[in-house]
Amino acid sequence: MGKFLLLAFRNVFRNRRRTVMTLVMVGGGVTGLLLAGGFFAFMIDGLREHTIQEGLGHLQIFTAEHFRRDENRVLDTGIENWQQVASLARTGSHVRGVAPRIEFYSMVSNGQKSSVFMGSAVDPAAESSLGFTPRLSSGRDLSAKPGGDVEALIGSGLAKSMSVKVGDGLTLLAVTSDGALNGVDVQIAGIVNTGYAEMDARYLRITLNSAQRLLQSDRVTNLVVGLDATANTDKAAAELAPRLGGLPQQMVLKKWIDLATYYKQVRNMFNGIFLFLGLIVFFMVLMASVNTLLMAMFERTREIGTMLAMGTPRSWIVALFMVEATLTGIFGALAGVACGNLLGAAINASGLHMPAPPGLSVPIPFHVLHLAGLTIGSSLIVVLSLALASILPAIRASRLEIAEALAHV
Amino acid sequence: MEDRREIVSVEAVSRRFPLDHDLAVSPGHHRGQSSVSALDHASLRVTAGEFLAVAGPSGSGKSTLLNLIGCIDKPTEGRILVNGVDTSSLKASGLTALRRQQIGFVFQTFNLIPVFTASENVEFPLLVQGIGAGERRRRVAEALDSVGLSARGNHRPDLLSGGERQRVAVARAIVHRPALVLADEPTANLDTHNATQLIELMRDLNLRLGLTFIFSTHDARLLEHTPRIIRLCDGRIESDTHSGAALETYASTYSVTYAGANSKGGGNG
Repeated sequence: MGKFLLLAFRNVFRNRRRTVMTLVMVGGGVTGLLLAGGFFAFMIDGLREHTIQEGLGHLQIFTAEHFRRDENRVLDTGIENWQQVASLARTGSHVRGVAPRIEFYSMVSNGQKSSVFMGSAVDPAAESSLGFTPRLSSGRDLSAKPGGDVEALIGSGLAKSMSVKVGDGLTLLAVTSDGALNGVDVQIAGIVNTGYAEMDARYLRITLNSAQRLLQSDRVTNLVVGLDATANTDKAAAELAPRLGGLPQQMVLKKWIDLATYYKQVRNMFNGIFLFLGLIVFFMVLMASVNTLLMAMFERTREIGTMLAMGTPRSWIVALFMVEATLTGIFGALAGVACGNLLGAAINASGLHMPAPPGLSVPIPFHVLHLAGLTIGSSLIVVLSLALASILPAIRASRLEIAEALAHV
Repeated sequence: MEDRREIVSVEAVSRRFPLDHDLAVSPGHHRGQSSVSALDHASLRVTAGEFLAVAGPSGSGKSTLLNLIGCIDKPTEGRILVNGVDTSSLKASGLTALRRQQIGFVFQTFNLIPVFTASENVEFPLLVQGIGAGERRRRVAEALDSVGLSARGNHRPDLLSGGERQRVAVARAIVHRPALVLADEPTANLDTHNATQLIELMRDLNLRLGLTFIFSTHDARLLEHTPRIIRLCDGRIESDTHSGAALETYASTYSVTYAGANSKGGGNG
């Protein structure tokens, strides 16, 4: 076995120029996959943290009723004694903070024109403690201090539609939890640019207290739980879920991934692109290697004939070619991993930035993540490709007519 | 002790190759002819310990005969027995096993594995037979010693002279102690000096170890000390000759008495 592997190993480096070309091709494929995959992983990781930090949080607590039916009245599926639930959630080992939220739809008017908005009521202090900060294009965030004028943040599209700016006033009109009509005057503290035009045209945020006064309810829609690290989500959820079981209202705990629809779409898209790149590399290596290995087989026809004449089983010839190709794949993958990691480190150190994609105003840093899974996956793609590429030449070699092979010039 | 076992029995064997009509028809072959005959009803018996040359001009069928005896080609007609085994009754795996265990090959172009050292090349048939590492080492050393190349075992073929390469090939052919060694034009790529030395080496191994050798050549000078010569022409055995002087050596070594030790005639069986 050892001698057999030695023979395969030496055969790999028999035609050095061709081997170097193959290693460059295989290594180049792995390097490309590592750089592309590493950058995609960085983008996906960035989007994940961005999504969580934009306000999604790591976990969210709802009433079970919230998912069973639409609200008949405002907040009638909301959390009643939310302070108790929040206190319970705060006792979790990885929990950094809990922020209550009210989500509601209502009308906003500037006295001449009215528009529907998607309202979000927050506790500014709780949001701030979790690092959830709205992306302001002008003005400032909501004040955490109680009292004073009722403040609001509105989306840039809604501000444009209502012809208002920071410091102007608006009137919010809403149906209360009792079914009555209520209104409140608000002063615009800041204008928000979420990056999504549809969202900016309907976005309005006020404080939790203001919303509870407007809606005449002390309930909240949900509680957003922030953790110390995204990696602890599953652990924290497993710890928290049983504790919610003993409450008067039946609660549902959702992880961030269950709620991050956009993130999942983007991740799937990147995964699709990476799969496509992987397939290109796989078939590129496969096609080029079949040709190279057929050439090698052709050049070694007499040698194969000699081995067969000496009584070498044909299965050994198949195995020899496949082991040689697999070894070539392994060496190419090792070269590609080394090259990919070095290039990745150089790119990370260079401080290069990609142009800002649509919806974002700042360029994205060109950063490549070094991931074990990606390294193994990319290496396996080329090793498998070469192993498959060797099947045809290996079978052809094993089926050579000995007498003809020995007469081969 | 005399060993009169029959190692090879070629019984009315013919080998015809299909003719490609798209290719130019060579002289002597006519359009409409579907095959060309490389060997025509050849019969031959070789006993253990013989040293036999198959002589004849190019295209006479020497290689075809050796390929058939070596089970790397199949006869169109007739049958061949190697060490008592009817090769026509064997499947591919059986023929592979027969070659592996019973036959050693020496080729015109040496055919050493270029990435292996001389020792590793000699070791290869033992490796294929699944013999243990210790036993392999011992037998390789023995085989290299018997061809006078003990000191060159760690050299790769490209660092050896033509004569040395062919001696390595001989060591590889005998290392697994086959019943029969087939050498197809083993001297064709050697100068006269090396060619003579190689034939002498094979003869020496034949005498010392009692190995049966069949080699082909078209060089008449190499046949001077060959005890038995089969002459082929156009695929037919023209003569089967036992040379007197050489035969005496052969006979005295193996205590074999040959009555009328000259030409036995016997073309075509």
